[in-house]
Amino acid sequence: MGEYVWFHDVSWHASYAIYFFVIGILAGLSFMSYGSWITPALRPLREKAAYGSLALMAVGGLLLIADLSQPLRFLNVLNPAYLSFTSPLAWGSLNIAAFGISSVLYIMALRKGDEVRGKQLAFVTALLALGLPIYTGYDLSVHQSRPMWNTPIMPVLFVALATASGSAVGSLMAGANEATQRVLREYMLWSTGAVGVILVSILGTTNYGGAASELTFVIMTTGTMGLIFIGFGLLAGTAAPVALLLVAHWREQQSGLMLASVLILVGSAALRYALLMGPQQLQTLY
Amino acid sequence: MSEELRLSPTETRGVPGKRRFAMVVDTRRCIGCMACQVACKAEYDTPLGVNRTWVPYKVVGKYPTVRRQFLPRLCNHCDDAPCVRNCPVEATFKVEDGGFILQRYERCIGCRSCMAACPYNARFMLPSHRTYTPITNVVDKCTFCFHRVTQNLVPACVQTCIGRSRVFGDINDPNSEVSYLVATNATQVLRPEEGTKPHVFYIGADRNATEFGRDAYHPPEVMEPERSAFKRNFKI
Repeated sequence: MGEYVWFHDVSWHASYAIYFFVIGILAGLSFMSYGSWITPALRPLREKAAYGSLALMAVGGLLLIADLSQPLRFLNVLNPAYLSFTSPLAWGSLNIAAFGISSVLYIMALRKGDEVRGKQLAFVTALLALGLPIYTGYDLSVHQSRPMWNTPIMPVLFVALATASGSAVGSLMAGANEATQRVLREYMLWSTGAVGVILVSILGTTNYGGAASELTFVIMTTGTMGLIFIGFGLLAGTAAPVALLLVAHWREQQSGLMLASVLILVGSAALRYALLMGPQQLQTLY
Repeated sequence: MSEELRLSPTETRGVPGKRRFAMVVDTRRCIGCMACQVACKAEYDTPLGVNRTWVPYKVVGKYPTVRRQFLPRLCNHCDDAPCVRNCPVEATFKVEDGGFILQRYERCIGCRSCMAACPYNARFMLPSHRTYTPITNVVDKCTFCFHRVTQNLVPACVQTCIGRSRVFGDINDPNSEVSYLVATNATQVLRPEEGTKPHVFYIGADRNATEFGRDAYHPPEVMEPERSAFKRNFKI
């Protein structure tokens, strides 16, 4: 054996990727619910998306807390005496808490049928929801020693992923409503297209980086990680749904849209897993 | 360091009236006895499976003139520490006088953000079961033996190093041994491109050992069974 290295574990495990996935969908659903106040075609989704978003927030919050090795100390993050604003996690925890409060108030307004307050709260909730994928992307991009993570486009990618997966869930919820599906089809097409463009640019800059970047590129594109990232994420989860949504025959059929939605969800889950786990692999050998 | 070059207000190297402890590791003198690793384990009762300091090696050269090249590793107590920036609850902090990067165990929430931020893998999660101490399930790291240094002792690894490979002292003191070694030898730090301004300086280290090798993607097969056994037995 030519060398001896000490075993290092990855810092963040797969449960964090599930959290990213859940938080992306809930942000996307919040966008849909707010969108229903501006685009009448989305009206059937307003309540469903708001309830779904809040339910997923509860799941996501519990996942995040359970992932801590000291779960009961999650309150420390909300303690002003401890909070460190140089950390994206601090901003993220405040964002999640504010989003939760705003979501509850929004749903209360919806139940009361208060249109004016409902629209205002929908705007605030959607704005806070936008912060969730931004902070999760930023959470990765601040790590300057991690190739692929350390790119300013990561928060933008997470917003695009959130819009794509939120629209996909919205499309599955909308059923046979043609007007709603027509709008969601455009959302899915453009956001998934944006995901593809961003991923290709990230892969390109990673491949032309230094030794660590190049090795990370190799890890991301070969073996099991390659199957997840390129196979499920880029080909099945990004290229295939974009193709489905572009082809006239499929885009007009509900089965085609459903297939595209499912593929987008599979792809966005795979991408989040690969983007989280892949760039951590090389570091374990340093 | 001139004031013009100082990029971060947290830097303490070269600041008058402040101490800035640093370690010099002369790899030419390291014989790979791992006594530093053992001394550290004894000092802190560090559990199995994790280390505050460790000594990896690579075999370099061409047969028959081959040798093991050791590279003792530990927390670099960076002047611009990314772990400090990334901790959401200030559980990780920098001691202004001395530059120690320390951990508040009672405050750590175990989000592992600092572990992800550290370019040197110097941080680890303590396992949930320990024999002699209740400090579990929080992130731990090398402290430059803060408790010893404040008693005018050197860190345990330095104390025990039989080849005097490790030298410790205040780099802001022009008369200290570390200042002399850094001033009179070609030194390097690990991953300087990350901008962390580490304070562990290596003499005689080779790029083979300090950078990611091309072989990182093809680790020796024997490592995989060992790694899986490690993960199976130590739930960290």
